[in-house]
This record gives sequence, C-alpha cells and structure tokens, in this order.
Amino acid sequence: MGILLSIIKTSLSDFDRNKLRTFLTSLGILIGVSSVILLVSLGVGLKNYITEQFENLGSNILIAMPGQIFGGDRQMTGGNFSGITFTEKDYLAIAKVSGIKAVAPAYVKTVSVSFEGKTEIGSYYGTTAEIFPMRNLEAGYGQIFSAGDVEKRKKIIVVGPKIAEKLFGNMGSFVGKTVKIEDQGFKVSGILKSKGGGGFGGPDFDSFLYVPYKSSPKINQEKKFSVINFQADSETVIDTVKESVTALLERSYDEEDFSVIEQTQIQETVTSIFAILNGVLVAIAAISLIVGGIGIMNIMYITVTERIREIGIRRAMGATRRNILSQFLFEAVFLSFIGGSFGLIVSLVIVFIGSRYFPLAIDLMSVVVALTVSTTIGVVFGVLPARKAALLSPVEAIRYE
Amino acid sequence: MITLAHVNKIYQIDGEEFYALRDINLEIKQGEFTAILGPSGCGKSTLMHIIGLLDTPTSGTLLINNKDITKLDDNELSRLRNEFAGFIFQQFNLINKLTVLENIMLPTIYSAKKYSYEPKTRALELMDRFGILIKQKSYPNKLSGGQQQRVAIARALLNEPKIILADEPTGNLDSKTGKNILDLIRELNQKEGMTVVLVTHDREIAESCQRHISMLDGKIV
Ligand SMILES: Nc1ncnc2c1ncn2[C@@H]1O[C@H](COP(=O)(O)OP(=O)(O)OP(=O)(O)O)[C@@H](O)[C@H]1O
Ligand SMILES: [Mg+2]
Repeated sequence: MGILLSIIKTSLSDFDRNKLRTFLTSLGILIGVSSVILLVSLGVGLKNYITEQFENLGSNILIAMPGQIFGGDRQMTGGNFSGITFTEKDYLAIAKVSGIKAVAPAYVKTVSVSFEGKTEIGSYYGTTAEIFPMRNLEAGYGQIFSAGDVEKRKKIIVVGPKIAEKLFGNMGSFVGKTVKIEDQGFKVSGILKSKGGGGFGGPDFDSFLYVPYKSSPKINQEKKFSVINFQADSETVIDTVKESVTALLERSYDEEDFSVIEQTQIQETVTSIFAILNGVLVAIAAISLIVGGIGIMNIMYITVTERIREIGIRRAMGATRRNILSQFLFEAVFLSFIGGSFGLIVSLVIVFIGSRYFPLAIDLMSVVVALTVSTTIGVVFGVLPARKAALLSPVEAIRYE
Repeated sequence: MITLAHVNKIYQIDGEEFYALRDINLEIKQGEFTAILGPSGCGKSTLMHIIGLLDTPTSGTLLINNKDITKLDDNELSRLRNEFAGFIFQQFNLINKLTVLENIMLPTIYSAKKYSYEPKTRALELMDRFGILIKQKSYPNKLSGGQQQRVAIARALLNEPKIILADEPTGNLDSKTGKNILDLIRELNQKEGMTVVLVTHDREIAESCQRHISMLDGKIV
C-alpha cells in the first residue's frame, strides 16, 4: 500500500519536474493512438455508409447480367461483356418464377440527350415500371411512369436528378416538356428525388434516363436487355430464386456467359476492398505507435541514468529489485497511458467535428483498444530500462557520480 | 552479531586481480563501538558496504546473527538492509527532491516490519532530538552539511536498526560540526547500547573509541 502510493507520488513529482519532456514523450503515443483511432473510425464510417447506400437501393435484390462478374468488371450497370444480351422472353419467364416479387429488365446505353439546344451525355435506361418501387425511387417532380404507360408505348421519360440538373438547371418547371434522345422526342413525366451514392461501386440511379422499354423501337429494336433486376419475396427465398433463375437462363445461354448475383455480394466485395485499404492505413499508423514506444524507451533509459544515485539510496534503505522495477515500469506505462488518453480525446474531438464532412464513426472497441495498446506499449518499451535500473548493484549505484 | 571469515573482495582491473579486501576476519559484538582506521583506498568503505549488505564478498563468509547471508535472495537481503542496518554516508546520500521528513520516512516505504510505534511520530521525535524539526518541510539541498547529516542519522535510526554503519560521517563537515555529529553517534552507543561501526581518518578519534581496527591495502593490521 505504502509502496504503491510512493511509486505514484514519485512518478507524478518527476513528471511535474520534467513537464516538457513528459509532454514530448507522450506526444509520440498521442499521435500514434489518435491516428489509429481516426483511421479505424474512418473505416467503420465508410462501411456504414456503403451499407446504407446499398440498403437504400432495395432489399433482396438479385441481378442477372452477362459475363462473370467476379472474374472481371465489377460495374453492375451492365454492358455486353460476354456478348450476350437477354430477351423479352427471358424477362417474362423470370417474372413467372415463384418467389419473385418484381422484375425490372433494363437496356442500358450511353446516349446524348438534348433539351432546347443543350446536349448532355446520359445513360438511357429502358425498363419497366417495377424498377421504381424495387429500387426505392420516387418522383421529386411530376410522376414516375406506370405499367400501363409501358404497355401503351408512351413516349415519356423519367429523368434522374443529376442529369436533370445538368439539362434543366432549375428542375420543377420542366415536367411536361420534351427532350430528344437520338432524334426521338420524349415527354418529361417526372424527375426523381436524389438517392446519392453511385460513388462506391453501386449503380448511380441519379444519372439515368428512364424510358418504358417498349416505347423506343429505334433505340432498342430487338427489345434486348443488358441486365435484369429482380426482387425476391423475402430473404429466405433468395437462394431458391437464384437457383431457379440460373437454371432458367441456362436453357438459353452458356453458363459462363451470364451470372446471377445478389446485390449483397457486390456490397460485400466493395466493403472488403475498402476494408483492405483501411487495414493498410491502420497498419501504417500503428508503426507510429511503435516509434512512440521507442521514444518512451529512450526517455526511460535517460531517466534511469539520471537517477542511478537515487536508486542506490533507495536500495540501501531496503528497496528490493522488484520495487525499483515497479517504479520505472509504472512511469513508462504512465507516460504512454497519458499519451493514449490524450490521443483518445484528440481523436474524439476530430471525429466529432469531422463526421459532418466525412463518414466517421467511433466505436467503443477502438477506445478500449487504444487504451490497452498504449498501456501495453508502456510495458513493452519500459521493461528494458526498468530492468536495467533493477539490476544495478546497490553499491555501484550509490557510488555513481 | 556479525562475523566475517576469510572475506576477500577482488576487482578485475585490466585483466589483473586487485584485492580491495584480503582475508578479512572480524567479529563485531552487540553494543560495541568499533572504529576502522586507515589511509585512503585501503578498503574501509568496501568493508562497510559488505557489512551493510550493499555489496557481496568475492569469497569468504559473512554471518549475521549466525546466518550465512551469501545464501539469501534479494528480498531477504533487502529486508536486512531495511531493518538490520542503518547506513550513514560521508556524502549524506539524501534524495534532494524529497523533503526532509520524506527522506527520513523513506525506509518505511520499503518495510515489511510490524511497527510497535507510529513511524511518523518517531521521525518527528528524532528530528526534534537532532534539532532539525523546523526543517521537516525543507529540501535537503537547502540545509547545511551538519543538518543534512542529522537528517541522514534520523533516517538511519527510523526502523530501529541493530547496527549503525557510519562511513566517514564527518568527512564533509568542518571540525566543530564534525565533533557534534560524532558526539551524537557516541551518545547512541552509550545511552541506547547501539552497535556502531565508524570509519574515520582521524587517529585521535579512532583511539578514543572502545575498539579500533587499522587497515592497510585491504588487510586488517
Ligand atoms: N568498482 C570498483 N572497481 C575497481 N576498483 C574498485 C572498485 N571499488 C573500489 N575499488 C578500489 O578498492 C580500493 C578500496 O576502495 P575503498 O573505497 O574501500 O577505499 P577507502 O578505504 O574507503 O578509501 P577512502 O578513505 O578514500 O574512502 C580502492 O583502491 C578502490 O580504487
Ligand atoms: Mg571510503
């Protein structure tokens, strides 16, 4: 009891005497701990953000697309990787599979779209009305088109907010006007609300030009589709639905020419890419913790040398080796613990402010880890200097000048 | 109380053996006042350090209360340093960042002793007795040499040791202050029956003691 109190008191008075030195030594750990926490929270925040973005794109969604997605390109907006395209027959067959709630095939093509002399590049998305509820897309102005509109081959268009802003600038008043795509006129039926996203590997639904697939024989003469989105009734039937659709498509296509994937697979892939990147960054930051630890070791060696005489006196008064070891080990741990705690505070402040601009999220785990790691660093890098102090022979220490 | 038999202390200097102590045979009895006399470098401090368990002999045996201390581990040795011996050094050896009172109380921190008295009360009594009570909150480097040595003596006495080992306690003091300190140590021996070993350069002082031993080149002569 007396010894513990004395150890703490001695350390505190020593830090008090060497304030600048204590501060500079802890600074190394402070920087290390806060950069690790910040990068971890960036990783956690990014993961949450990606998950949120994908959840926003609808749940239990599967996509049939040409080519082998996990062997090649990861863009899911489609493209003729394998050369095949799906047909209207495929679409109607998939719609009959049990366990499927909605199907939205899409013909995707890069087109130029013009409005009153202004021309922009956009993605034509020839599809069915089911795309809107499936992908949680809502009209911000005007309205989305209906299944009836598709059957009636109405020449109408629903414009994604991003492309709408480029084309129209101020958006609302353009509902009902006509835009031209490849010399064909389409009346603007609605403009979608923004969904954000698109930046993390998901499709950018904000920049599509949605047109009923039957309405534009010139652009898509054979009514082919580059991708078929469909939605399972529930999570439990996803696997069965996936198998049924795969089997169905295998009747018409070679199994290597198309793939049926779950949206969550894409999400996982994207998430894992970011996790790897983040892991590398955290590992680099962790090196600064080691550097901080070496700083502590250095200072502790200096401290031991400066206090050899004192160690000798304490030994002469009956201090055991273990007493001396505890004293210096405690000081090293205390130094790095101070650094760790302040590093934690600094990173909490930065996360608090920075979360308005970046996806940052702190989790309790990183707080626990930061304090444990900094304490451990104190022990690891403090043990050698402390051992040196403890192993000094009393007579050598007391004769030391 | 203390028996040294055939004690050697050998240092290796440039590959050659140097005998700081050579075949020391010595017995110190309880209540004795022993003075050790000899020229500089003859091994007086080395001998004191061995008796005070700050150092170990290269060969030979050291018995304390008939126990062979070469067989003790660090914990047991530390405990003896704490409870058995009170060391007084020529250079005072106080810790300057601790107050006078904290210095005197230092042995209690490392003590496993069951105190039959309140250590702080004893510390205050000793300070009072040595005329340094008003300095209890001062730091040692603000004290005169004589005062510092009194602090050191109070510290040595705090745990009621069985023996006081004083290695030239007056070496850093003027003769008047030195005499004062010596009287104090003598008084401990005479009034309380404290066993004392005193190292000195001064033949006169040595001869005034109950028993004196002369050393030369690591040997008792
Ligand atoms: N660690 C050491 N290594 C080598 N030689 C040493 C060591 N410690 C002491 N000595 C030598 O041992 C001899 C005895 O030293 P010691 O300090 O015991 O002398 P002393 O009699 O106390 O002298 P003084 O009166 O000057 O204090 C000296 O010659 C000294 O140089
Ligand atoms: Mg000496």
